[in-house]
Amino acid sequence: MASITIKDMSVSYTKGKTHVIDGMNLQVKDGEFCVFLGPSGCGKSTAMHCIAGLLQPTKGQILFGHTVMSSDGKKDFVPPQERNIAMVFQEYALYPNMTVRKNMSFALETKKTPKDEIAKRVDSMAQMLEINPLLDRKPSELSGGQRQRVALGRALVRDPQVFLLDEPLGNLDAKLRDQVRYELKKIQAQLGVTTIYVTHDQTEAMTMADHIVLMKDGHIMQQGTPNELYDHPNCLFVAGFLGTPQMNNFDTEVVERADDGYCLRTANFSLTVPKEMNACLRDYAGETIVTGIRPSDFELAEEGETDAIPAVVDSIEPLGDAFLVYVTVGKNVVVFKYTKENAPTAKEIMLKPCIAKLHLFDRESTKRINV
Amino acid sequence: MERRISIERNKQDQATQTAKIRPRWHTYALHAIYYLLMIVFVVFYMLPFWGTLTTSLKSNSEVMTSNPVAWPQQVTGEGYVSAFEELSGPLLNSVFITLGGAIGSVFLGSICAYALSKWKFKFGNLFFILLVAATYLPYQAILIPLLQTINALNLYDNVLGLILVHSVFGMSMCTVMMRGYYSDVPDVLIKQAMIDGNGPWQIYRKIVLPNTKIATITVFVFQCTSIWNEMLFALVLGGYSSKPATIALNELAGTMAAEYNVQMAGSILLALPVLILYIFMGKYLIRGYMAGAVTAS
Repeated sequence: MASITIKDMSVSYTKGKTHVIDGMNLQVKDGEFCVFLGPSGCGKSTAMHCIAGLLQPTKGQILFGHTVMSSDGKKDFVPPQERNIAMVFQEYALYPNMTVRKNMSFALETKKTPKDEIAKRVDSMAQMLEINPLLDRKPSELSGGQRQRVALGRALVRDPQVFLLDEPLGNLDAKLRDQVRYELKKIQAQLGVTTIYVTHDQTEAMTMADHIVLMKDGHIMQQGTPNELYDHPNCLFVAGFLGTPQMNNFDTEVVERADDGYCLRTANFSLTVPKEMNACLRDYAGETIVTGIRPSDFELAEEGETDAIPAVVDSIEPLGDAFLVYVTVGKNVVVFKYTKENAPTAKEIMLKPCIAKLHLFDRESTKRINV
Repeated sequence: MERRISIERNKQDQATQTAKIRPRWHTYALHAIYYLLMIVFVVFYMLPFWGTLTTSLKSNSEVMTSNPVAWPQQVTGEGYVSAFEELSGPLLNSVFITLGGAIGSVFLGSICAYALSKWKFKFGNLFFILLVAATYLPYQAILIPLLQTINALNLYDNVLGLILVHSVFGMSMCTVMMRGYYSDVPDVLIKQAMIDGNGPWQIYRKIVLPNTKIATITVFVFQCTSIWNEMLFALVLGGYSSKPATIALNELAGTMAAEYNVQMAGSILLALPVLILYIFMGKYLIRGYMAGAVTAS
């Protein structure tokens, strides 16, 4: 097992004209489950391919523990076959000419592991993933879910210092995805191998990661634990990317109150913010900022209550254990999660946001204002 | 209401389908024309082969008196015996040259194709363009320098010399053909094999070759056929001891002009190995030719 350190890594194509990754710095601790999250084309798979050695960064350094895997000079580059890593691709990449058993034992045979040791490891992993009846089949005789398990088994059967998983659940149906997700996390915790997992699915990231690295356009936008990113997004992009449904954003004016505090005002409502936020709002007095409220941070308010937002109900989506209520506030469509047993029946309602959980962002730079 | 609309739509669909079916007499007439054309083409293409076969089974005297395409009144193998006496040595030479040349060119072409399709390196594309250009090079243009080279290597009138020439000249065509097949092997398999601890050579041996068996067989058969039928290199670079069957057959025509049955038997003997190869490898060849049309799974 090893920690992974990435120092100032850049990848560019067309002689430096197109930057896929620009100055990436990252530290993944030994045994950590790290998820690279981001929209398509953000550079997360490229970063993983650099860690695997399938791609050489244009600039920067990659270390496994204290061993340099890739550096600015070409002579320091360690090819993938010498990095002792295991990787699962979204396309599974099972060798069509080999049986499941042969697929799983291929890497171990290359490493010249004794035959009885290979058989023992393959059998125990096949049992863990419930694929032992499939060991003598060829990949073309397996279903998508079975192929996925074999691909995972092939990676897990080795004893690598790093696991790299490139959208491994992308081709599975929703039910199987949940099941494999749970198993994968369990096995990773058991084995304690440093793991990097690439996905664009924020649910996978939130549920599996010890450490999320959220990327956009080749840059790390924010990294930290799932809760850190969810509760304290450092910019509007992170706030919007994490959480389903997305955070509701309002353009609000910062207005000074008579009692030395501030309130956030729109044409339809006004929210009184606690004095602890004065320091960060002082520079924005009289200006417009973006106020974000997560759908789960609303509750129904009584008529005449302070800091209440008047809203008109548009539609209600039942989720089973809750309702997603779409309302109109002025010209904005706002969604909130209502967890009571029965959906609100009134057409016109009052919403009260949890003031302590407001997310305030600069409108120009989109950076977070309240720390 | 919706149901009624859907029933009416079904009726319309049926009416359209019925309208598309032509009257029966028309179909029969078309089929008759198709079959007639097919029979004409088959007869046209098979007639020379039929003439060769019937002549080869006749005695020399019957050849002079009978219709060339008529079945022999008395079937005899004397033509084959005489032809085999003349061609046995050259046929053996042809087998060595063909197998050696085909194995050599397929091996070299396969490695080149693997490197060009799966690995990126400087001037890789330029190298491929030059190889494609080489496939269009007329052999006559390089005969004299080639003869000088073979002489310098002391390989004139030597089976090994012809094997070397066919290996090198076949390589460009093999590379071009195999590059197409290898491009269908998903790159992700190569990446996975690298992650699994394999270097380029091991990946070629354990992943690329086993997954492109049919392509290799196709190109091998293609090479076998062209080397087996080749005459020019054999004429210029091969003397008496390395003479292949194509040259010997030609000499058969020159020295025994009147013995058509022997010449035809020789032709059949020369064509037989290639025919057998196509009959046994036919299904692989069709799959091989089709391989580029579908993605490898």
